[in-house]
Amino acid sequence: MQQKILEFTNILRKSGIRVSTAETIDAFKALDELSIEDRGVFRDALCATMVKRGEEVATFQQLFDLFWSGFYDSLREQFEEAGAGLAEMGVDLDELLKQIAEMLQDMDGEVGDLSDLARAMLLGDLNQLEQMIRAAAEASGVQNIENFLQVGFFSRRTLEQMGVEGASDELRDLAAALEEAGMDPDQVAALRRLIEGLTEAARKGIRNYTERELQQQNHDYMEKFRRETLLEKSFYHLSEDETRKMREVVERLAQRIKNILSIRRRRLKRGKLDLHQTLRRNMSHGGIPFELIFKQRKKDRPKLVILCDVSSSVANVSRFMLQFVYSLQDAFTKIRSYVFVAELGDVTELFREGDISQSIEKALDGGGVINVYTRSNFGYAFHHFWQNHLSVIDNKTTVLILGDARNNYNDPRAWCLRDIHNKAKNVVWLNPESPSAWGFGDSVMNRYLPYTDVAEECRNLKQLSSIIDRLVL
Amino acid sequence: MFDSVLDVEKQLSAQDYICDQKISTVVFLAEKLEKPVLVEGPAGVGKTELAKVVAAATGRRMIRLQCYEGLDEAKALYEWEYSKQLLYTQILKEKFSEAMAGSTTLSEAAERVGKEDSVFFSEQFIVPRPLLSAITSEDATLLLIDEVDKSDPEFEAFLLEVLSDFQVTIPELGTISSRTKPLVFLTSNNAREMSDALKRRCLHLYIDFPSQELEQRILETKVPGVEQRLAADLVEMMAKLRRLDLKKVPSISETLDWARALLALNAKELDAEFVGQTLNVILKYEGDVRKAQGELSQLLEKKAAKAHATAESVTEVPEAKAVKKGALH
Ligand SMILES: Nc1ncnc2c1ncn2[C@@H]1O[C@H](COP(=O)(O)OP(=O)(O)OP(=O)(O)O)[C@@H](O)[C@H]1O
Ligand SMILES: [Mg+2]
Repeated sequence: MQQKILEFTNILRKSGIRVSTAETIDAFKALDELSIEDRGVFRDALCATMVKRGEEVATFQQLFDLFWSGFYDSLREQFEEAGAGLAEMGVDLDELLKQIAEMLQDMDGEVGDLSDLARAMLLGDLNQLEQMIRAAAEASGVQNIENFLQVGFFSRRTLEQMGVEGASDELRDLAAALEEAGMDPDQVAALRRLIEGLTEAARKGIRNYTERELQQQNHDYMEKFRRETLLEKSFYHLSEDETRKMREVVERLAQRIKNILSIRRRRLKRGKLDLHQTLRRNMSHGGIPFELIFKQRKKDRPKLVILCDVSSSVANVSRFMLQFVYSLQDAFTKIRSYVFVAELGDVTELFREGDISQSIEKALDGGGVINVYTRSNFGYAFHHFWQNHLSVIDNKTTVLILGDARNNYNDPRAWCLRDIHNKAKNVVWLNPESPSAWGFGDSVMNRYLPYTDVAEECRNLKQLSSIIDRLVL
Repeated sequence: MFDSVLDVEKQLSAQDYICDQKISTVVFLAEKLEKPVLVEGPAGVGKTELAKVVAAATGRRMIRLQCYEGLDEAKALYEWEYSKQLLYTQILKEKFSEAMAGSTTLSEAAERVGKEDSVFFSEQFIVPRPLLSAITSEDATLLLIDEVDKSDPEFEAFLLEVLSDFQVTIPELGTISSRTKPLVFLTSNNAREMSDALKRRCLHLYIDFPSQELEQRILETKVPGVEQRLAADLVEMMAKLRRLDLKKVPSISETLDWARALLALNAKELDAEFVGQTLNVILKYEGDVRKAQGELSQLLEKKAAKAHATAESVTEVPEAKAVKKGALH
């Protein structure tokens, strides 16, 4: 059992659930206290001791089912099937086994003379068989299985490793010997049939085991794939499902940044001694300062003005950037958001009422203020901002621009951005295209570059989160 | 002491707490292995309540440490009682003068006072806070460290020390170890993820919103007057609501509040009017209420139609049907 739990621990680890040795030991201790006959209790005990994150519970659940339920049961089914044929022939399995044992005794032998495997097969010792299959499968490297085409290969290897054919031959010889010693022909026929059944059952069991292993490996693979690649996956190609998952990931990243911020803010809190407050607080102590009060130091939180291209080519980047920024609202004193394609509209109000994801979808749709079904014109949008909204920018403002700067050969009016840049604390431009494409074709990114403090490629979550990290930390 | 997992379930239900096997397994193990339990889950799923009922069921005294941002050792463990020390200094002024009498230099005087200062740093002048109370308690206790995610990481590190060996060192007094090991429950809403080190030391219990069947049992236990059908309708609605993308998802307490409100209004079943009147009991944001209204009215209509259909099939005699049909044409 312990062996099996260790093996399971390894599988958990491979799927990214961090299980420490101390926790594995806890699991052992827990199982000592419980009756593990009850699958549910057994599962809950393992989960409570080894899985410590809410979001990992689902993965645990799936792996548990794959690993613990099933294989033993399916093995039992197959072996029961092998024995079931006997009933049709009017032979009782237990009777038959007893008879074999008696005859062997007369022949100066015993069932114990058989090899371990042959004995386990004949007596239907499923525990033993299960362990032998696991060991053999491992020895033949089944944990390296990658795809369905290899199931046959690894099954055969395990079969050889385990020596199933040899064991079957051994049993066939036994049947022959018993026949010679005068066993009832009907019984001999039944025994022969049983032996073929058992061989088949072992074969199927091994194949079944190999298939499960493949599933497990695939699961590991997919999990890892999901975790790693979602961060690096381009916003351009997201399925609906991925968009949903991505939202969760953004939420988690934002949460992480919030944690860091809150720690930092606490560290900063302790400022100079506040003499006034200290004296007042300690009046009751006769003016003796037992408790010291410190001034709280304030860190300037940036003001943020977002100019967000919502044309379809960058909509996804905008979606996650807005989600990110608004999940971190507290990190900024004030956020003003504008969306544009050619016209520019103020969508700050949209975000007043709570529900972020809905506000985002509305904003991406123009927020009822602009027409999104036109061709991008950055120059026009910047000029509009310059004319009507320049006053929202002061020297504490960070201007965050998101767009690919593909201007459809319109006038870029870079001087508008120059004036914005002059007034703001800094200008950060995120462009989903890679720098090597900037300035080529209808990209006017090179024209805007002189008026940005930071300009970076932002095509996936990893890049986005690192930029936002720097923005707030 | 609980005998078995099943026993936990029984004893907690005697305290009006309805739980599933996962919860009872972890509670059982916590007591057997003497390990703290970290209970996580959304707001209002009964994390705090679980600790309370376990205390009641095991006859332990519950000591609660409510965490918040800025909570520190002084507030959690112990504090010297300054004003009392001060008072005693004043009263004992003369004794001090006696002690200092004959000393010629300032440093000599200070030294003599120093010899006496242990008087002021003795147990008499300590205000025990929850952690120290739990450690020094004579009788069995359950220590509830509530909303541990609200505390600061620095505090968490300190907590880790205390939890690992249940002893504290007070420089002036020495080391105090616990007499009876408290059963510890930590609850968290996941405002901040707890450190791996803390998690390693704890059993983990994630309580999610209950299944409809479980919530109905909770409802019937906690709000005795509620009729079975109404209870079933309520929990079905709640399940629906929780699937919506709401700003604040309603919890079990809201289900209970809602049921009480409906009882107060003497409602026998849920209809659009009652729902309209009482939706603000369970939803705190205007936007959420609007979202929910659309969804729920659909559900109610469907229900009404179904109820109507079954009512007809039961009560109507064929003749009446014919009449009705005639009337329609
Ligand atoms: N399984 C249950 N059986 C009976 N009552 C329950 C159950 N779960 C929750 N309740 C009831 O729901 C209410 C909320 O529970 P509680 O305050 O413990 O939630 P919580 O998880 O601690 O929430 P928070 O995270 O907001 O602190 C309580 O009134 C409690 O009685
Ligand atoms: Mg609580």
